[in-house]
Amino acid sequence: MKYQIVIAGIGGQGAVFLVKVLSIASALAKQKCLGTENHGMSQRGGSVSCYVKIGDFYAPAIDEGQADLLIALEGNEALRNIQYLHKDKGVIVMNAPKNFPKVDFETHSIDAFKKAKAKEFPIDALNVYMLGVTLALDAHFPFTCKEIEEAITAMNAKVAEKNIAVLHQGINDAKAKK
Amino acid sequence: MKQILMGNEAIALGLIHAGVDMLSGYPGTPSSEILGNFQKFRDKFKLEAYAQWATNEKVGFEVAYAGAISGKRTCATMKQVGLNVASDPLMSASYIGLKGAMLLISCDDPGFYSSQTEQDSRSFAKFARIPVLDPSTPQEAYDMVKLGIEFSHQFETIVMLRPVMRVSHAREICEVDDTLHVKANQGNFERNIPRWGAVPPAGRFRQGLEQIERLEAIKLWNWEHLIEPKTHALKGSRVLCLTSGTGDGYVKEAVEELNIQVDILKLDMPYPLPKENLEALFESYDKVIVFEESFPCIEEQLSSPKLYGKLTKHVHLIDEFSKDKVLSAFAKAGVIEPNHAYQSEKYDKELPKRPPNMCPGCPHRDVHYAITKTFKKKKSIYTSDIGCYTLGLNQAAIDTILCMGASISMASGFSISDPDKTVVATIGDSTFMHSGVAPLINAVYQNHKFVLIILDNSTTAMTGRQTTPERTNPNQIDIKRIIEGCGIACHEYVYEQDLNKTVDFMKSLQEAYKTATAPVVAVVREFCVLDKENAVGRLGNVLVEVDEDKCVACDSCITNYKCPPMHYNDAGKMEIDPFLCAGCGSCLDVVCPTDAFVKKEEN
Repeated sequence: MKYQIVIAGIGGQGAVFLVKVLSIASALAKQKCLGTENHGMSQRGGSVSCYVKIGDFYAPAIDEGQADLLIALEGNEALRNIQYLHKDKGVIVMNAPKNFPKVDFETHSIDAFKKAKAKEFPIDALNVYMLGVTLALDAHFPFTCKEIEEAITAMNAKVAEKNIAVLHQGINDAKAKK
Repeated sequence: MKQILMGNEAIALGLIHAGVDMLSGYPGTPSSEILGNFQKFRDKFKLEAYAQWATNEKVGFEVAYAGAISGKRTCATMKQVGLNVASDPLMSASYIGLKGAMLLISCDDPGFYSSQTEQDSRSFAKFARIPVLDPSTPQEAYDMVKLGIEFSHQFETIVMLRPVMRVSHAREICEVDDTLHVKANQGNFERNIPRWGAVPPAGRFRQGLEQIERLEAIKLWNWEHLIEPKTHALKGSRVLCLTSGTGDGYVKEAVEELNIQVDILKLDMPYPLPKENLEALFESYDKVIVFEESFPCIEEQLSSPKLYGKLTKHVHLIDEFSKDKVLSAFAKAGVIEPNHAYQSEKYDKELPKRPPNMCPGCPHRDVHYAITKTFKKKKSIYTSDIGCYTLGLNQAAIDTILCMGASISMASGFSISDPDKTVVATIGDSTFMHSGVAPLINAVYQNHKFVLIILDNSTTAMTGRQTTPERTNPNQIDIKRIIEGCGIACHEYVYEQDLNKTVDFMKSLQEAYKTATAPVVAVVREFCVLDKENAVGRLGNVLVEVDEDKCVACDSCITNYKCPPMHYNDAGKMEIDPFLCAGCGSCLDVVCPTDAFVKKEEN
């Protein structure tokens, strides 16, 4: 199998946490995994992009036109990274308002900021919420819900219960929207 | 045993499995997590090992080197620009060699993700005549740490490991040793004055000759153990690709995905190369293309009319590798037709700019703001340094950035060359300890007149909040007493989130400057908002919103204060993003000329 994911967001939203969860999930699913993230200069508020490549790869970075999936924790960051998507099979899962510009890809969008403002889930769990949305809406996503739950638990057992609850909230909200 | 490891974790674990029990370094992205992870593994496995941050890279190198010449297995960690600082001891140590083992890890940053320069540490290995290993993935980094330590011991030479950002910050499922057989080893320095006392010239000449002999032996070893075994897998295509480090991964993927008929030979130790053996391989090929990141280290050691690379301008000269750049090099060298398989259209409309910026609530922002408010831009020169406060560039509050410590020595220089302006230098506590003390002594000794503000948040914040000297020993090493030790007064301000107070403090420095005959030096006692120990109780809880009737969209706040939650909304008025605002409330009083920022009442 070969599956490439770009995770985009803003510093402080937990994009790197998702890279870790997905690499643990790969190990659980007995898949090879190479990932990479930008550290250092992107403090809170700056653009962040991370890559996860599942399957037989040798280089950790994803090239333009290659990604199967773009998970964007913020809508504009989806647009900023759109060139990484494969032009035929690329899928976007993003947190964006309803009136967001349309793009030429299969797009699943949800206004997670609005839900967080309404205190439906805590904003610091936005990353896990969007992972739930991805699980529900990306038909080719290579992991099962159980693998993701186990990976979240392996990351930090103390807060796993809370995180898994938000994961399911993302799944349910996304399904209700379909 | 399989483990999911980030490159720097894999390196740290490799050091432990290689029996290294003495580690010293200075933080710098992308190298910073090596020492921290080593400490974590050491504590987990209950090992006795020294692993501490040094005040700078030269010090870190020298501490580790002393351990090595006493017979211990040691390591020094840094980033590529840190190696510039440590290059002084490296040049001598490479002649003298060692008894135990020492791995010098210098992490490179192709693509300038968090560095002033791209540089290639392999050039330093070549300059210093020490072998260098160039890993392409976390797994290889782990394996090469172990190889490097053994090799260093066998040849009594320092060995460099040169991971790049895409290795240090990559994650991979790695195969690592199951068990641990590591015991702390006892160093035993044996006096040998002709060897360890580096006084020219006679002994050095002999050591120089030994160094050259050692290099010849290493070249042979490189051929017999690392290169020759791989040549059996070459398929006899018309084109040979010589790769090194991350260049290898990009070439392999592009070649496999597009079915390009070439042979690939990866050089694990790009210096020193067995030139004759390698060039003999070229005979059966039409073209040989070198793919390496960042400088032409391999290419410069070889010569052949069949050779294509950076020197012949067939491979890009700057920026990190990508598969698109691999294809472009193949096309330029006439191996394939031009191919754009790895290019896609970008979104071409305007997107919000998000340059690196200081965190919401960060005290540095207030200090920069207060400096420009007090010492007007037209009449001042702002020198600054390397750290989070460098991001004051966004506030146009910084004129020069050169390298660690240069804010103070350059302030000296400007005070001589452009004396009508007030020079205001800013430097963090970690950078001050790293290389600010010597230039301060110089400035006091020669009575240079400028304002120096030391931003003391008691951590190396930018690289992940590593400990600093005054953090570990708070009652011993104190910036205030260092300044006083230079015989001058230290102006001290304990930062508060009321911006008026920070501005008032700057005005007091301006007063002091009027009558000063030496540098006016201040320390601002701050905290890092991400530093759980120090920020607790010091971060505000005031949420701010914008009174749209008062906001005239004058840009003053985003030009001079530039806090990440501030942005224009669809109505063209300023708005505060509640998810980013840290609640410091600093912007309430001084920042807005029309007082449009107001406290948000809880609903």
